[in-house]
Amino acid sequence: MTGVEDLLQTTPLLIVSISGLVVLVIDSIFRNGERLAFWLAATSLLASGLHGLYGIGETGTAFSGMLTTGGYADFCAALFSLAGFLTLLLSRDYIGSRTTDRGEYYVLILFAVAGMILMASAADLVVLFLGLEMMSLCFYVLAGFTRTSFAGNEASLKYFLLGAFATGFLLYGIAFLYGAVGSTNIDLILSSASHLRDQTFFLIGLSLLLIGFLFKVAAVPFHMWVPDVYEGAPTTVTGFMSTGGKAAAFSALLLVFAPRLASQIGPVREVIAVIAAVTMIGGNILALSQENIKRMLAYSSVAHAGYLLTGVVAANGSGSTGILFYLAAYTLMNCGAFGVVALLESREGGRTSFQDYSGLSKSSPVLAGLMALFMFSLTGIPPFAGFFAKYAVFSGAVAAGYTWLAIIGVLASLISVYYYLRLVVLMYFSEGEHPVPAPVPLAYAALLAAAGAVLFLGLFPSTILDLTATFF
Amino acid sequence: MMTTQLVAMAVFLPLAGFLINGLAGRKLKSELLIGAIGSGTIGLSFVIALILFTGMLGTPVADRTTIVTLFPWIEAGALSTSFAYQIDQLSILMMLIVTGVGFLIHIYSIGYMHGDPSFWRFFAYLNLFIFAMLNLILADNFLLMFLGWEGVGLCSYLLIGFWYDRRFEKGSTGDAAKKAFIVNRIGDVGFLIAMFLIFTTFGSLDFVSVFPQAAAFPVGHEVMTWITLALFLGATGKSAQIPLFVWLPDAMAGPTPVSALIHAATMVTAGVYMVARCSILFALAPTTMMIVAVIGAATALMAATVGLVQNDIKKVLAYSTVSQLGYMFLALGVGAFAAGLFHVMTHAFFKALLFLGAGSVIHAMHEEQDIQKMGGLKSALPVTGRTFLIGAIAIAGIPPLSGFFSKDEILWKTFSGGYWPLWIIGFVGAGLTAFYMFRLYALTFEGTKRWEGEKHPHESPLTMTIPLIVLAVLSVVGGLIGIPESLGGGNTIEHFLAPVFGPAELAMRLHATHGGIEYLLMISSVLMAAAGITLAWKWYRTASNQPVRFAERFAGLYRVLLNKWFVDEMYETAVIRPTVRGSEKLLWKGIDVHVIDWTVNRLGTFAQWVSRTVRVVQTGVTQNYAFVFVAGVLLIIGWILSA
Amino acid sequence: MDLFDIVFYCFALIAVGSAVVVVFSRNIMYAAFALLFAFFGIAGLYVLLQADFLAVTQILIYIGGILVLMLFGVMLTNRVVDVDIKTGTLQIVPAAILAAVVGGSLSGVFYSTWSTVSGTPSDVATTTPAIGEMLMTSYILPFEIASIILLVALIGAAMIARRKT
Repeated sequence: MTGVEDLLQTTPLLIVSISGLVVLVIDSIFRNGERLAFWLAATSLLASGLHGLYGIGETGTAFSGMLTTGGYADFCAALFSLAGFLTLLLSRDYIGSRTTDRGEYYVLILFAVAGMILMASAADLVVLFLGLEMMSLCFYVLAGFTRTSFAGNEASLKYFLLGAFATGFLLYGIAFLYGAVGSTNIDLILSSASHLRDQTFFLIGLSLLLIGFLFKVAAVPFHMWVPDVYEGAPTTVTGFMSTGGKAAAFSALLLVFAPRLASQIGPVREVIAVIAAVTMIGGNILALSQENIKRMLAYSSVAHAGYLLTGVVAANGSGSTGILFYLAAYTLMNCGAFGVVALLESREGGRTSFQDYSGLSKSSPVLAGLMALFMFSLTGIPPFAGFFAKYAVFSGAVAAGYTWLAIIGVLASLISVYYYLRLVVLMYFSEGEHPVPAPVPLAYAALLAAAGAVLFLGLFPSTILDLTATFF
Repeated sequence: MMTTQLVAMAVFLPLAGFLINGLAGRKLKSELLIGAIGSGTIGLSFVIALILFTGMLGTPVADRTTIVTLFPWIEAGALSTSFAYQIDQLSILMMLIVTGVGFLIHIYSIGYMHGDPSFWRFFAYLNLFIFAMLNLILADNFLLMFLGWEGVGLCSYLLIGFWYDRRFEKGSTGDAAKKAFIVNRIGDVGFLIAMFLIFTTFGSLDFVSVFPQAAAFPVGHEVMTWITLALFLGATGKSAQIPLFVWLPDAMAGPTPVSALIHAATMVTAGVYMVARCSILFALAPTTMMIVAVIGAATALMAATVGLVQNDIKKVLAYSTVSQLGYMFLALGVGAFAAGLFHVMTHAFFKALLFLGAGSVIHAMHEEQDIQKMGGLKSALPVTGRTFLIGAIAIAGIPPLSGFFSKDEILWKTFSGGYWPLWIIGFVGAGLTAFYMFRLYALTFEGTKRWEGEKHPHESPLTMTIPLIVLAVLSVVGGLIGIPESLGGGNTIEHFLAPVFGPAELAMRLHATHGGIEYLLMISSVLMAAAGITLAWKWYRTASNQPVRFAERFAGLYRVLLNKWFVDEMYETAVIRPTVRGSEKLLWKGIDVHVIDWTVNRLGTFAQWVSRTVRVVQTGVTQNYAFVFVAGVLLIIGWILSA
Repeated sequence: MDLFDIVFYCFALIAVGSAVVVVFSRNIMYAAFALLFAFFGIAGLYVLLQADFLAVTQILIYIGGILVLMLFGVMLTNRVVDVDIKTGTLQIVPAAILAAVVGGSLSGVFYSTWSTVSGTPSDVATTTPAIGEMLMTSYILPFEIASIILLVALIGAAMIARRKT
């Protein structure tokens, strides 16, 4: 039965959700509680993150088999918490200068992280669905957080409409699976996969579930919302959605699909492989002609979903550890990239086009250097983390016999060199006038930490690869 | 364990020194502080090396090898490599040499580089060099060794071109640096190929895994021959052997302490160390061993002949270094690994001493390097002169100074191994060595002054002379640990290193021989050296026209030697010019511009066009997005159900 | 055909017929009211399937909550802005294609699984106590999460509705 030990096993979830409630109360009671709320939120996210990194526990289940704990769940929890932590540090001034309701912002970030943790540690489709909804609801609100911004409202509404649409498919899929198996327990569903593989109910349920995830990870053709939402939402929120949100969706996808993909549900694997290929090519090609950095990063995020799906297709140890490494690396570098964009953005949302970055290395050498580092890493140039991330998922695909997919991935990343490095070239080899952004110590600290971690993971990828290899 | 921390400190202290001086050096105004950081970190490393060494002496022979794993580095497929260091007799010996001599040269540099605007940069590079060198010699696997190998190459490049605004011979110091880098790169390709071969053959790059596996291979196995040949190509690059020795004389463009530390005492012996470390692989490839021995002997003789006629004080020493390295490879080639390492050590002492002495002279003569414009400096530079003389005697091979024991050991092992033609070459080379060293000494320090203008040479400061004295002492007594048994010594160093080379010697079926002939050879080589010294003394101590007449009589030979056998010119016509032409005409203007660029540009334009076309789908209308979404859903479900 | 079948077809007819009205009515008020009957018909089907809790929930939430909200929305909008409450049908061709494909595939699924599903409903007396007990025991975690989700939704609603600062 449920008891204290269940709570103790889910420390990160507990820390994050309770501090979410406390921050909400602080924000409503104290008139000037923002400082306290911020530091409480940041500390709890950091604590939850560090717990995951240093205190990865034994694998087990909690809450009557609703949650898995330890190992994979703890690692993912750490990843999401750190993504939230970085976002918090980057957002404080950004959000503060655009709206006055910062308290709710912190609460929503915390609850979004809690939702992500639930997704990665779900042992039951009901919990998975609720976690996903919790995260998505927070994102819908966060996307329109700057209420006076027209683009923000549009982004929020579009995301909500399409998100609800996709949720419908996901839920429908869960219903089908329940109908086929008679349970919503993920393990049970997976183990019945072998004798239900030809049953239409089961296959439809699985497909619909897959589609729900593909929407969240922004795979082609379910990516249409991404550029509009990413462009319109507040930049720091976009950074969080594109990293934490994607990471959570992938961790859930991995949880449900990876274990049985290789052996038992053949057509599903082929479908994911084709979608991965289309996503890599489509995302990169569409990113080519973008003139707005946020839109470019949006399509780049679509492309990265494709690389990550390659790891899912691999469905072997190398692919799965590769995905976790990729998610960690991607979280760091993309949060960083969006963080730089946020710092340079004008209050009205301007100064986000490519041209606005020309000659940046003269006026803000530090920001330009950091941006260049993140761009190199996103391109996948060694010695940055992005290189090893791609290497790991592609080598997993090759080992699984999907060499053609890895080749497409490499070719697609070749295209990406153009638009990532175009930014670097503009920053360093063109002339331009810029207002120097006001120094924001917190944001700079976050960016430097992210950059350092990107370099560290690139030099010592085994720190994460060894750790995650034990999960699969 | 304590050892782990000690080793980590010994390796990473120089890195810390590099970071401090490299990042904050410009801000640190005090040369003393920079010098203290630079030298202090190396000094501490040396102390740690001593602690480890004494600790090793206190443990039984069987337990003297320790592997210290700091952290895992690369895990990719079957490849798993760690930042791990192997402390054994061979690596501790090298560590002592590198940190000890390195420390002295750091101290010396404080005086030598005084007033240089880039003082901090010099010490930063020097510390980085020691860090890389320690990785090279302590690594427990080929990959980390390669990291160090490339690291020292980089530092060598940076330090040769340290005075990048100065001219050097026909070009700039930058040209010399590039030459060193590129020539070394050719050797590195060999090292890389060897690593690939080792990995495919043994499935690992760790020494502890590769060497025992290798010992099971039969002697003369083809794979071993290829691996060792590739490794040896790497060694010829780093250790300046035929055919890749051409960079070392040009490397003298760097500051003299650099020449002493990197291009004489430590880095250039990396090739020797590497071959010794892989002794078991080489022992199984008799063909390679023969090549190593022949190349070593040929290099020793060739470089010695060039050294006879050079007039630049550092050039003479540079060719002397190439020649002595040839002796070391000769030793390795005949299976006398311990003798080779012994010579590495003694050579580090006396060659560092000679270079530092030369630096002191150059310092006093205001950057003059031509020995024809010196002379009579003995009285002005008493300490430098005397220590230089000790170095010259040591390298000439006069007992009981260190050079005698190590060189004689090599020659005896060559002879007793049955390689008497090589012994003759080495024997003649020894005479030449004695000759050119005393020619150098006599022209510089003896006779009357031959320079023009107002120069008042005076002795260097204490920071420079103390290292000279210490190195002089070491040059005198350094040989004592290797006195052969035939002279009543214990040959301590050979016994110390025996466990490392045991498997190789077993594979080669070597066994020590001693006999009356050993004394005969010893005496004849001393006589040979004495003859060389006497001749040089007679010709050069006082102005004599003997050398000129000699040169006129053998004008052809003289020109060949003066122009270093025209090797640079040959490379220029045979390799460099065709490569440059071919690259420019065919690869660049032909293939690159018309094939590759054209294709890439077309592909790029095409991708842009596709991008702009497809972009139209992104209308911004939510209903359309939902429509695409549902279309995707139907496709997926349709596919899955129909399969 | 016994009484059960007759009642079933009645409810089915109500549900489907009202749904058709919802789609094809040009007056949005009519459409909204037709939706009420569609929900009601589905609730009736739940009862026939012995899903009593679900039936009551359907009526309470969909009819009592969501539909009333929608009607309020429609009426308030009409009163304030004086917009046309008639609705047109957009994008007929794609919608027709989609509807055809969805309908086709659903029929396909129905046809292929027709024989494998047993006709007799399970005989559970009443589901409400069991659901209640499970919500408080093994499903306590989803229950709690749901409450936080509602809280998030509340915050979001409050954010949107709050007066501009």
